[in-house]
Amino acid sequence: MFDYTTDIPIYALATARAPSALAVTRTSGKNSITLLSKAFSSPGRLIAAADKSLLHGYLRDDDGSDIDEVVLAVYREGSGYTGEEAVEISTHGSLAVIDRLSRRLEELGFRPASKGEFTFRAFMHGRMDLTQAEAVEEIVNSKCESAQERALGRLEGRLRGRLESIRASLLDILASIEVQLDYAEDEILEDWVFPDGEISSICAELRRLVESYSASRIQRDGAKVVLAGPANAGKSSLFNHLVKEERAIVSPVAGTTRDYIEAWIDLSGLPVHLYDTAGLRESGDEVEGEGMRRSRALMEDADLVVYLTDPDNPDVPADLDTDRTLVVFSKSDIEHRATSLSFSSVTGEGIGELVNAIRQRIGSVLLPGDDMVIDSRRQKEGLERCLACLEAARSNRGQSADIMALFFQGALEELALLTGEVTNEELLDTLFSKFCLGK
Amino acid sequence: MRDYDCIVIGGGHAGIEASSAAARTGLSTLLITQSLDAIGRLSCNPAIGGLAKGNLVREIDALGGVMGQLIDSSMIQYRILNRRRGPAVQAPRAQADKFTYSRNAKELLEHTKGLDLFMDTVTDLIEENGSVIGVVTERGWRISARTVVLTTGTFMNGRIFIGEWDAPCGRLGEGAAIGLGDNLRRLGFDVGRLKTGTPARVLRSSLDFDELEVQKGDEEMLPFSFDYDCIDRPQLDCYITWTNEETHRIIRENMHRSPLYGGKIVGRGPRYCPSIEDKVVRFPDRDRHQIFVEPEGINSEEMYLNGLSSSLPEEVQHRFIRTLPGLKHCQIMRPAYAVEYDYLNPMDLYPTLESKRLRNLYVAGQTNGTSGYEEAACQGLVAGLNASLRVRGEEPLVLRRDEAYIGVLIDDLVTKGTKEPYRMFTSRAEYRLSLRHDNADLRLTRTGYEKGLAGEEKLARLEDKIRSMSDLRQSLAGIKERGKNALQLLKEPEVTMDALVSAHPCLSGYSRAVRDEVELDIKYEGYLRRQDEEIASLRRREEMAIPPDFDYDSLAGLSSEGREKLKQVRPLTVAQAGRISGLRVSDTALLMMAVKGLK
Repeated sequence: MFDYTTDIPIYALATARAPSALAVTRTSGKNSITLLSKAFSSPGRLIAAADKSLLHGYLRDDDGSDIDEVVLAVYREGSGYTGEEAVEISTHGSLAVIDRLSRRLEELGFRPASKGEFTFRAFMHGRMDLTQAEAVEEIVNSKCESAQERALGRLEGRLRGRLESIRASLLDILASIEVQLDYAEDEILEDWVFPDGEISSICAELRRLVESYSASRIQRDGAKVVLAGPANAGKSSLFNHLVKEERAIVSPVAGTTRDYIEAWIDLSGLPVHLYDTAGLRESGDEVEGEGMRRSRALMEDADLVVYLTDPDNPDVPADLDTDRTLVVFSKSDIEHRATSLSFSSVTGEGIGELVNAIRQRIGSVLLPGDDMVIDSRRQKEGLERCLACLEAARSNRGQSADIMALFFQGALEELALLTGEVTNEELLDTLFSKFCLGK
Repeated sequence: MRDYDCIVIGGGHAGIEASSAAARTGLSTLLITQSLDAIGRLSCNPAIGGLAKGNLVREIDALGGVMGQLIDSSMIQYRILNRRRGPAVQAPRAQADKFTYSRNAKELLEHTKGLDLFMDTVTDLIEENGSVIGVVTERGWRISARTVVLTTGTFMNGRIFIGEWDAPCGRLGEGAAIGLGDNLRRLGFDVGRLKTGTPARVLRSSLDFDELEVQKGDEEMLPFSFDYDCIDRPQLDCYITWTNEETHRIIRENMHRSPLYGGKIVGRGPRYCPSIEDKVVRFPDRDRHQIFVEPEGINSEEMYLNGLSSSLPEEVQHRFIRTLPGLKHCQIMRPAYAVEYDYLNPMDLYPTLESKRLRNLYVAGQTNGTSGYEEAACQGLVAGLNASLRVRGEEPLVLRRDEAYIGVLIDDLVTKGTKEPYRMFTSRAEYRLSLRHDNADLRLTRTGYEKGLAGEEKLARLEDKIRSMSDLRQSLAGIKERGKNALQLLKEPEVTMDALVSAHPCLSGYSRAVRDEVELDIKYEGYLRRQDEEIASLRRREEMAIPPDFDYDSLAGLSSEGREKLKQVRPLTVAQAGRISGLRVSDTALLMMAVKGLK
């Protein structure tokens, strides 16, 4: 569960979470430099970097693709804002980059900072240029996510009920293991049996909740729509039409590596983040190869891929996820196919139908049919980690009970972000109410 | 009467460890007990150890306490429990010859240098300027002392109940200690009532053994103490039988005669050790409950009916006990009874077990709301040793939650308090994988030595073990199979140390303890490492001390509930503050900053 500490690596976005030219993400904590070096294009230079130095390079995702071109400000212990080892990361101010970066930082072992935490650390490390009062005020104002009610208070009706029942099921399972560990085999005669069916249904439920995240995220952050297709299919022209036709909130900015373009548009009331990507084709050219890899990464992350074909390349790649893909035939002025969506980059014909189709497809994600949606990425990731603990339990099912308990404790700890912590008293209450114990 | 460095009130398991620890670390010590014949009695079940409790006994021994030796010299059956359920949670339990245990305990204390034993009942504490400076006894003695350890067990205002009958006793046939509880109330102590119970003892020769299932112990008996490698004791069997519908019917029909259901007993009883009435009421669907029939001693005719504790009238007890197979003709020697007694709110103590109300007063055992011989003994040791460290002007002993079950137990008591008799469970320990019974010496003996309780010999044995473990690791590193060395191989679930030893005779020279230790360390390495970061952060917070008299009223920004909780618990470290139930994270953060600002 969350706690104010020092030294544990944390990160936070220091600038506003809005599209802008630049964004600064701060990190602080022991080994920040080493941790970050794992994602930096020249790890050796970062590890060796002098105090208060600036480094230019690229931050990369786990798969090696660039997140963005960055400038790192490196602070050795004792010198930065918090007094801890720290790195400030300046990126381009695109929301996609900001989100990818924070996801990457969490993979690397940084946890999101709480309100006041940087100032708290600065105080704890004797950075006396800050007043204590300043830190106190920040902390008091944050009254952060400690209380169970607060965590649950954000959740609504049925979702809350579902999460509470998942928690109760997990607590029951844990109690049924704990009773094996706290009472001897002559008192609890039956060995613990892995509750396969129950775990499967909990996992399925968790997966459904995780998926509900995309719906609520779209409402808040906008849907990610990626234009893809072979080179010369008319993607840029469609991009321009969409941006022009619809009210552009932000004028198109060049993508960080200039191999995709993004724009933030209002598609008749639906916020959409539109990306134009490099064309997909086999290429021996290295630069283009890299661009295509990024296109693929964007497509994987998209809520909807609008795939433009052209008459020269009428086939759609087999690996496209059809659930998230809308195939559009371009250059309808040249070849018109009835019953399918098409768009002419010359006349702009077909744009209206296309906009409707996009809205319809995203709308189906938006309305999953009930109110059980989670709306924060931290919650979603908590659920994913909970799910991972249960998967780990499943694949370790042959282990002894003391080890099995760890997986279920872990699952409950991950769930605590949404449902509140399980105290030992609560565990014992469950145990004593379920089992008749005691010689 | 002469004065003492330390007076220990009570001769139960807490009192034994407290007086022994105080005297052996150089304090002139007086143990005052109501009966010299009742020292170290096993008032309830005739066994020591068990899950989590066995770990406590070994921790007591590792620190230099005496409980391990006492059970080693009196055991009549030995078992390692839960072997199948994982090495981290298995633990030793031994059946004891009660009479031998108690006699050995008394003789051990009699032969302890610097320790006097005296039979009387303490009725009051003498206070001066917020410190305890002596005690007053029933027969009018006023004895002064620099420190006092209170271990009254079930005797302070004890009252026992059998059906409609009740009497002021701490144990059946032994009078309660009257006066002290009322005087503590007058001094402002927060005194409450708890309840526990014990089953009937029946005549061995009246049992039908062919109707009982035999329960044998392990073939090999192993010592609880780390001071020697083997013990030689006689082995006795235990027996198993079951209740049935008829038993339950009799109990249900007479429930109204139970003092628990009639409201005569106000104290809360333990849920983990319910009376048979409780089991029948709370689990009506169970058609039978398991009962263990255990010998109370080698030559004793008394047999203990484990699982049948009750406070129903004796004639009802007679009837329902005789419905059990094997017990049809049994003759009851001592009836089952419930006992209710005074306890002091343990939240009034610092983690050293010193009272916040009265300086130099330490409290241990059932008086703090715990239950169990082992729980009592470990507190007695900590209280006695801390009294000694106070007199000697040294730093007190506070064990952390990641280093001992004792640390978990005391921290829980003083930080969260308890509403029912507190028993140790492995699930109370966040880091139970590292708190194994077999590594208690590695965790604690050095501390025991530094605090003056564990002797040179104990330390030498520890150092031998550590050396031998490191030699074994080196030998394992030299053994190669399938392109891996044996250290790596042992990580695989299928590979066992035993198999390696039989394949490689060079390993057979290492003792079983050393082999087990190394094997478990390696097998659990991956899981233990995950805890390491958490433990490191915990330790940093344990090092952030908060003065006991910290002024919470002047700390700006604290929530008002937080302020009240902090004032009640008066945590000694930031880590302890963080464990107060319901304290907000932001309050802990503010406290951290305030403590930091003090320096």
